[in-house]
Amino acid sequence: MAHDAHHAQAQQDHAGHADHAGHAHAHWDTSVWPFVISFGILFLALAFSFKFVYHNGFAAILSLGLGIPMILAGVAGWTSEAMGKGDGFSYSAMGWFILAEAMIFVSFFVGYWYTRLHADVWPPAGTITLPRVMPIVMTFVLVASSLTIHYAEHLLHLGNKAGFRFWYMLTIVLGATFLGMSVYEWSHLMHEGFTISTNAFSTIFFSVTGLHGSHVVVGLVIFLAGLPSVLRSDVDEGFMRTAGLYWHFVDIIWFFVVSQIYYW
Amino acid sequence: MNLKEWIFTTDHKRVGVLYLIGSMAAFAVAGIMAMLMRIELSTIGPTITANPTQYNVWLYTHGAVMILGFQIPALTGFFANYCIPLMIGAKDVAFPRVNALSVWLFYVGVILALLTFFVPDPPDIMWTGYPPYSTITTGNTALYTFTVLILGFASIIGGVNFLTTVAYMRAPGVTLNKLNIFVWCTLGAFVLQLVFVPVLGTAVTLISMDKYLGTHFFDPANGGDVLTYQNLFWFYSHPAVYVIFLPFIGVVYEVIAAHGKNMVFNYKMVVYGGVGGIVALSGVVWVHHLYVSGMADWLRIGQMITTLMISIPVGLMMIGLIGTLYRSSIAFTTPMLYALGVVFLFLIGGLTGIPLALPALTIGVSDTYYVVGHFHYVMAVAGTFAIFAGVYHWFPKVTGKMYSEFWGKLGFWITFVGVNIVFWIMMDIGVKGMPRRYYDYPHFPQFEAAHQWMTVGAAILGVGFFIAVLNWIMGAKNGKPAGDNPWGSPSLEWSTVSPPPHGNWPTPPSVAEDWHPYGFRKD
Repeated sequence: MAHDAHHAQAQQDHAGHADHAGHAHAHWDTSVWPFVISFGILFLALAFSFKFVYHNGFAAILSLGLGIPMILAGVAGWTSEAMGKGDGFSYSAMGWFILAEAMIFVSFFVGYWYTRLHADVWPPAGTITLPRVMPIVMTFVLVASSLTIHYAEHLLHLGNKAGFRFWYMLTIVLGATFLGMSVYEWSHLMHEGFTISTNAFSTIFFSVTGLHGSHVVVGLVIFLAGLPSVLRSDVDEGFMRTAGLYWHFVDIIWFFVVSQIYYW
Repeated sequence: MNLKEWIFTTDHKRVGVLYLIGSMAAFAVAGIMAMLMRIELSTIGPTITANPTQYNVWLYTHGAVMILGFQIPALTGFFANYCIPLMIGAKDVAFPRVNALSVWLFYVGVILALLTFFVPDPPDIMWTGYPPYSTITTGNTALYTFTVLILGFASIIGGVNFLTTVAYMRAPGVTLNKLNIFVWCTLGAFVLQLVFVPVLGTAVTLISMDKYLGTHFFDPANGGDVLTYQNLFWFYSHPAVYVIFLPFIGVVYEVIAAHGKNMVFNYKMVVYGGVGGIVALSGVVWVHHLYVSGMADWLRIGQMITTLMISIPVGLMMIGLIGTLYRSSIAFTTPMLYALGVVFLFLIGGLTGIPLALPALTIGVSDTYYVVGHFHYVMAVAGTFAIFAGVYHWFPKVTGKMYSEFWGKLGFWITFVGVNIVFWIMMDIGVKGMPRRYYDYPHFPQFEAAHQWMTVGAAILGVGFFIAVLNWIMGAKNGKPAGDNPWGSPSLEWSTVSPPPHGNWPTPPSVAEDWHPYGFRKD
């Protein structure tokens, strides 16, 4: 049977290894960065407790001062270690990751529906009228950015490097525009006294739009991280497909944010 | 031995062993907490502490660490890491560095959980963290939130990693219908992790936001709703029992097939009906945890039906196990004893769960020791026995050495007697009205003797587990060489040397047309 054959082969190799025991030792791959990032995250968690539970600002800043550099160094070290050594699995992995991400939004929306449909009075006292025009404009900007990145991918596939670069950068500009409009709107609402701690609706409004906004930021960071290789014209098509998939996901979530939070 | 090559390792086997060490340490800590609670309850009035909050902290640590620090990491950390790449004939996982990140995040999570003993105002909110208590207590709710978030993130990236690994890295000839049952079960568990852990992460984040950042998710005074939390929490935490159940029953399948030298009975029914059915139904039964929290009757009835329905796929998996045992040549080795122990304990646990699915009956026993006893049979003890079965089963592969069968069997029988003393009595006094979570019970003096028996039982089962762990340590140090395939199993992990080198096989394996992980030679 086949496994017996392998068995024999493996055993032979084992014997070979035993001959140069010192040699076999060098075969275990290591990376220091996952360890560094993990403990950096530990310090972030501690910082939160120091600040908000024990009200010790100094210890909190000290923890952040340890944690943030560790995480940044970890991410940088990891990236340089792994650069160009991908096995092409990132697209599939991103699909599964998006499933998990989508469930975070599902929790927020379901929590919102549950709270709202159970409430005796809705919206709770202190709610102001939300702007109607701005979300429409924002929707157009974000949908446009989804189309531009799709077109960019298409051009990359055809080999049109210059066209790809243009549409790629246009996507970044559109994403940044969207973000700017979000910031403008937040500050406008807060100025009118509608903040995250006004009532349950404002809590949900700011958390959901904030969560979505943070995803836009992550998407932009991914695009900016890819920018150097885009400018050098040696961008990997797998990277583009993965980044594009994430961006479409962020776009789709926005439809739920607009329809459920702004217009219902 | 080079310590740096262990700490910074990206190899799936070493990452797996790191998971095992961490989860067994967590098991020891959480076990000591259980023992402290049992001693406290052995007499009415203060026994070893006069401080109820101290008892709450033990309760919190016991529950949170057993589930999040021991069972889930042992099953989806150690077994999945060690076995899946070997079983599918891969050289490693798809993203080895991500794998290392997930194990160290797990350690960070456990460290945060253990800080409970050292920080002022430790968390005292049980493993459930229900508001409004969790948002008004002086205890450190943030510690709980970050523990859950970090462990949750570790399991999400682990899930992404393993789903990709099995999709793309199977050796030629290892088709989907020739995957080990354990691989199928664990894939199911990872899908559940990906879908449900984010919901838990959201729920626990919201209690800390409410408590520390001034939001009003669960604050009825400002339009919030407390029950939102309970729904989000159980939307994860019920499927979490399948995240534990699926891999542990997968381990039991491997053990029973290998130590009975038999083809798995009804393979496709187990995979598509059992694993598939559980994954499909797991998300629609959580409301049975809220039967007494208040809901519409139509919802209660609906959830009763789905809860009863999920016993169909679970039953299919049990039939598969018993069918595999039927006419097999059973060797009563230590792993086999533990596996048979799981079948027995899970049966008791499963049958005592049926009354809890029925709203009319459950209201009578809700929040009594009956629930605690049922839960410990079906998940805590059955799951832990499966973990011990699996560690014994793969012990020769991991270490290249053999454990002592004598001490292994002795440890099993002592534990088996201990758990039945504790949890049988627990269900009994629960039906008679002993409420759960009480630090003291002056109004129930009739249960004092039962509590003392349970404390004795807990000490017995503790001794049994201690013998088992000691047996592993001694075996790893001084055991006899085990050979590469001591159980004579055709499953791929036994086709390489013990312990396997980095890369697992010198050349990528490929299997013959007629190969099957359970194709035992009939002599």
